[in-house]
Amino acid sequence: MSSETTASTERTADSVAERLHIAGLPAPGYAPADAVLSVRDLNVRFNSENGVVHAVRGVGFDLLPGKTLGIVGESGSGKSVTSLAIMGLLPPTAEITGSVRLNGKELLRLSDKAMCKYRGNDIAMVFQDPLSSLTPVYTVGHQIIEALTVHHPKMSKQATEARAVELLRMVGIPSPKDRLKAFPHEFSGGMRQRVMIAIAIANNPRVLIADEPTTALDVTIQAQVLEVLHTAQEETGAAVVMITHDLGVVAGMADDIMVMYAGKPVETGSVDDIYYNPRMPYTMGLLGAVPRVDISEKISLVPIEGIPPNLVHKPTGCSFAPRCPLVSDACLQGEPELWPVGGPRGGANGLPASGTHQAACIKTDSLGAEVDVHEIFHAPAVPVSRFDAVPRLERKTVLELKDVRKHFPLLKGALIKRRIGTVKAVDGLSFDIREGECFSIVGESGCGKTTTLLEIMEFHKDQDGEVTIGGLSNKAASDARTKNAMRKELQMVFQDPTGALDPRFTVYEVLAEPLENQGMDKPAIRKRIMELMKLVGLQPDHVNRFPNQFSGGQRQRIGIARALAVNPKLVVLDEPVSALDVSVQAGVINLLDKLRAELGLSYLMVAHDLSVVRHISNRVAVMYLGKIVEIGDVDSVFDNPRHPYTRALLSAIPVPDPQVERTRERIILQGDLPSPLDAPKGCNFATRCPVFAALPAAKQEKCLTLEPPLEPAASSQAAQAAPDQQFACFFPDGELDADMLVVHGAP
Amino acid sequence: MTNLNAIDPAAVAEEAKIENDDVVIAKSAIILRRFLRNKTAVAGLAIFLALTVFSFVGGYLTPWDKETIDPFNIGMPPSADHLLGTSQAGIDLYALTVEGTRISILIGLVVGLASVLIAAIYGCTMAYFGGKVDKVMLFILEALIMMPALLVVAVATSGGGNGLQENLPSWLLLIIVLLVFSWMGTARLIRSLSMSLMQRDFVKAAQYMGIPARRIVWRHLVPNIGSLLVLDITRGVTGAILAEVAFSFIGIGIKVPDVSLGVLIGQATSQVATFPWMFWVPLVVMFLLTGSLAMMNDGLRDAFDPSSGSIGSANRSKTQKTAKKNSK
Amino acid sequence: MFRYLAKRAATYLLMIFLTTTAGYFLAVSTLQPALLEQERIPRPTPEQVTNSFRLKGLDPTLTPWERYIDWLTSVVTRWDWGRSPNGAFINAEFGDRVWISTRLFLASIVLTLIIGVALGVYTAARQYKFQDRVITSYSYLVYIVPAPIAYFLVQLGAININETVGERILFVTGISTPGLEGNGWVQFVDMLAHYAVPTFAITIVGWGTYQIAQRQYLLDNVNADFVRTARAKGLTRNQAITRHALRVSFIPVAQSIAFTIPAIFAGGFFAEKIFAWHGVGSWSIDAIALQDVNAATATLAYGSVIFAIGAILADFATTLVDPRVRVQ
Repeated sequence: MSSETTASTERTADSVAERLHIAGLPAPGYAPADAVLSVRDLNVRFNSENGVVHAVRGVGFDLLPGKTLGIVGESGSGKSVTSLAIMGLLPPTAEITGSVRLNGKELLRLSDKAMCKYRGNDIAMVFQDPLSSLTPVYTVGHQIIEALTVHHPKMSKQATEARAVELLRMVGIPSPKDRLKAFPHEFSGGMRQRVMIAIAIANNPRVLIADEPTTALDVTIQAQVLEVLHTAQEETGAAVVMITHDLGVVAGMADDIMVMYAGKPVETGSVDDIYYNPRMPYTMGLLGAVPRVDISEKISLVPIEGIPPNLVHKPTGCSFAPRCPLVSDACLQGEPELWPVGGPRGGANGLPASGTHQAACIKTDSLGAEVDVHEIFHAPAVPVSRFDAVPRLERKTVLELKDVRKHFPLLKGALIKRRIGTVKAVDGLSFDIREGECFSIVGESGCGKTTTLLEIMEFHKDQDGEVTIGGLSNKAASDARTKNAMRKELQMVFQDPTGALDPRFTVYEVLAEPLENQGMDKPAIRKRIMELMKLVGLQPDHVNRFPNQFSGGQRQRIGIARALAVNPKLVVLDEPVSALDVSVQAGVINLLDKLRAELGLSYLMVAHDLSVVRHISNRVAVMYLGKIVEIGDVDSVFDNPRHPYTRALLSAIPVPDPQVERTRERIILQGDLPSPLDAPKGCNFATRCPVFAALPAAKQEKCLTLEPPLEPAASSQAAQAAPDQQFACFFPDGELDADMLVVHGAP
Repeated sequence: MTNLNAIDPAAVAEEAKIENDDVVIAKSAIILRRFLRNKTAVAGLAIFLALTVFSFVGGYLTPWDKETIDPFNIGMPPSADHLLGTSQAGIDLYALTVEGTRISILIGLVVGLASVLIAAIYGCTMAYFGGKVDKVMLFILEALIMMPALLVVAVATSGGGNGLQENLPSWLLLIIVLLVFSWMGTARLIRSLSMSLMQRDFVKAAQYMGIPARRIVWRHLVPNIGSLLVLDITRGVTGAILAEVAFSFIGIGIKVPDVSLGVLIGQATSQVATFPWMFWVPLVVMFLLTGSLAMMNDGLRDAFDPSSGSIGSANRSKTQKTAKKNSK
Repeated sequence: MFRYLAKRAATYLLMIFLTTTAGYFLAVSTLQPALLEQERIPRPTPEQVTNSFRLKGLDPTLTPWERYIDWLTSVVTRWDWGRSPNGAFINAEFGDRVWISTRLFLASIVLTLIIGVALGVYTAARQYKFQDRVITSYSYLVYIVPAPIAYFLVQLGAININETVGERILFVTGISTPGLEGNGWVQFVDMLAHYAVPTFAITIVGWGTYQIAQRQYLLDNVNADFVRTARAKGLTRNQAITRHALRVSFIPVAQSIAFTIPAIFAGGFFAEKIFAWHGVGSWSIDAIALQDVNAATATLAYGSVIFAIGAILADFATTLVDPRVRVQ
């Protein structure tokens, strides 16, 4: 508890030098003179009913002006608490020790009032959830202007208004002057996040902290917001601290990276060091756990077993040791400190310069770039399904959709409702899924992919279009027996593993429910449940536990086990891993891969993460406003996308590879997904299309009047290269509009 | 006295044992433990149980009963003969209080339990069927809420309900009328809660598995609104006791010769200065009754609230309790 | 916005019609004024009674349905709510009664809301401190006291004050001193002396609910994301709370106004009875005691109208504080 001694001493001795001496840090050269933000030995503790939670343990970094530091970690790693501690926004019950200096001025232990001089002025923050971060009862303009007047009370009304308009324009909100009077609920998530950024940069801060700024957003919107952040940084010259769990998001943006685990930085260094030469097994595992959208070769993902430690207990050894495949007895003797990679260890009495590659692992030096992370973490071999060898068309069809439509009437009127339009959530969808394949539907939220799943799961006789499940058509599903036979073929895994399990059921009851419904007898149920537990990698003796006693990844495994209980042919996966942490996600994806191969399952997956889709799917369909705009074999679609929307989607995905990110050409779509209500007559996508924007007026006319059909490429050569691929575009090879293209040169 | 089963420690512990042959702690056990940890709640339970027992066996501890007039002691203060004194009619106040407490508890329990039952059935039906059924049922519900209960109580108990009055004792009549007007709020709450539960993934999962609707309601909906039901029972019991006292107090609820706490309090108001014990004794009993229920309700709410364990800090256990108490 | 309110008003109008109808049938089938006439001396013959009632439009020989049609026709076409068994016209009596009730409750409603909300904010700002504990505990205490008993205790207190002072400075019953002569000032002081006790009693019983609700809603919002955003802009914690959290926390309180007004009106029965103000509430009880069908129905209709007004006011208040509702 050395830091506690530090804390108590600090109260008596205010002298910086003395304090640093006690903390074991050299007083002279406390921080690089040019660092705009220096954090030293930051510790945060919370009291909880179970004891003191040591949420942040000895975080330190220097941030140089105009530079970007990426803090990467999973949930509970202490990254958000770190940022709130720097901002002074933690509740007063939190005990914070260490030092946070902004341009050399100490910020910790300032009173709330004194801190207000800096907050929003020199140091600003963008929060994770844009939907709840703006006050619902005030206009957007009011909230931006407030940020200005707090620090400049004498600013005139005209001046603040002009500045607010300027800020909104800077973050890319169209017709900013009118939008000042809009309320937050009239804005989409992406727009609100832009407003948040506008508020943060209102006073040209020196430091901008962005805490998972794009987590809740669609990929295309994420690309837009990241672009806005980039612009904001250029305009203000601020140094940025970017906090994220997504290694792709920071790869192109950050100069330095700090990886956090269990409240502690475990590896720091320049972005290239971390991505190309990781020296801490956790970092290596994380990098290996992320699927890549730009690589077609199928390799298993690196699973990191176990869960992060409970921060109530003081770790006696390396906090990653329980999950580390390289663990040895030495790892359990004391927690390793951060030491320079390849440099001297022990006795070094100074902080290395900012950006030096450091890792907190006693085996750092034996973990070079040549080490194969798949080998270390025992990544399973790529499973091969017996169906993989059979040509697709020779396999049986497990699910077929023919021209399925779901239109919602939009009603308006006080007493007598009248129809003012139709929302075409799903508009003429046809596809089939064969045995043993994984078919994925991708698209932005609101494109109709979830409605499609509902149409399949809630099949009934009177729906518009035909749904055939295992050879039985919905049109024939009039009696309970046929319906039950269809249901047995089709099971679902939900997005939120917590919500999908009844909190009052034990795992046994959860798994027994579908079996009882099939009329199985007790001993058989028991036997089947034990099988299922083993199948999904859970301990069979845990069947008496309640869902809340499992981690998120384990709960999702229970959800998968339940879906498999009745031996379905097809499992519908609704964003199966999006609620899970990266390291856990890999394990679940590998499990899904394995089950598909071993049991010959077919999957219908809906996901917004295209990297996951590429990793797991055989075929993919891209949806836009209720229609499929491109469909085909996953490799052909991802490697050679023909529809401009597919191209835009793919280019928006950040890749965890700094080199690629820096040189990548990116299509930034304008605006949000238009409301399906005012779907245009011709091509749906024309309003946002980068190809359309660059077309001559004569050709544009065609896009606006005719609806492009979904068909294979016209040229026989292209059609031969990818016979399965179909798309709905008249000008697949058209030039892209230069305004929508962005390339960031190497920093 | 069935409502006590809802929190009967032995039953809960038994249930926990069945659910777990493992080391795992069952949710019910956690709830019980949380409830028992709350000293106020346990005290409330103890007081309530004591009063209930008192109302049943208390009558045997005195030679007097609620009808016998003691002509030598009319309107006397507490004495050796009459523990709590006598009424103006010369009836032993202790005997009256025992009788009144029993009637009040009876009214409270019957109304509290039955109204929650009606509310649960009505609310779940609304939520399950939705659409038109829901709309019509909601309309009826709101119309009933609009109807001033008091008027109907007055009509039924004092007015021309002569036919009824001859056949039924006034306390039963009051129970029926209170019941008609006490379940709407709970029904609305249950409706909205069930509706949000219907949207939850685990209910959808069951539907997609082809589990019949009846089973989904019974196995998924009801247990998940269970905590609300238990809370509403204690709340409903309190409400019914308060309503009985209020109505009888102004003379439109229970009618003499039946006694209840409300009647005793109401009768004594005219001579508080002269015969203070006649007023204060039943009033204190009523406070003990409603107070103990409120304390229990409080403890139950904390015990059911899954988030209640996570707030506050170790060195502030006292304030934490207040925090929980107020987090409604 | 206007159309929305109009639609709500139409729905409530329908509800008022239905509750009133239901109330009329209940009253007409249970209330039998003829029985009371039998107790007169000299005892009238049944024919005399029937004749006298027929003249007042209360013919007991007609079926309830026929009487309902007659009654409804006269209400709709002539706005004539009928007559009492003693011959008085409901319309005339009604005006006086409503005026008295309104005078009794208007000040209390305003005070209840203002004090409740203000104390809620005050205690939320001082969470867990001494003031918070005292005030919040008081609000919980009010919850377990039946309203008429609370009024009665206030009345006792006022009498005590009068006795201590030795002069009658507070009137515990009545609306004004009958036959009081004097200039405006004397009249005003007399009015204050009559108003003080009932208004005080209704208010201190009423604000507890609002204090607890406002405190809870504000505390729920104190740690909201948008408050954190406001602080990140450079507002101090207190500024962020008063400028951002407070307004948002008013939204649910505004919605609950719908239930205050009818709740206070319901409490009004008790208040009018205990403080002997002859408003609508006490009239409704008297009407039932006198087997007066038309008066009972009129008071019930009044209660429904009050409820509807409360609900529409709540809609209006919600629209005022919450921009999300404004866009319909």
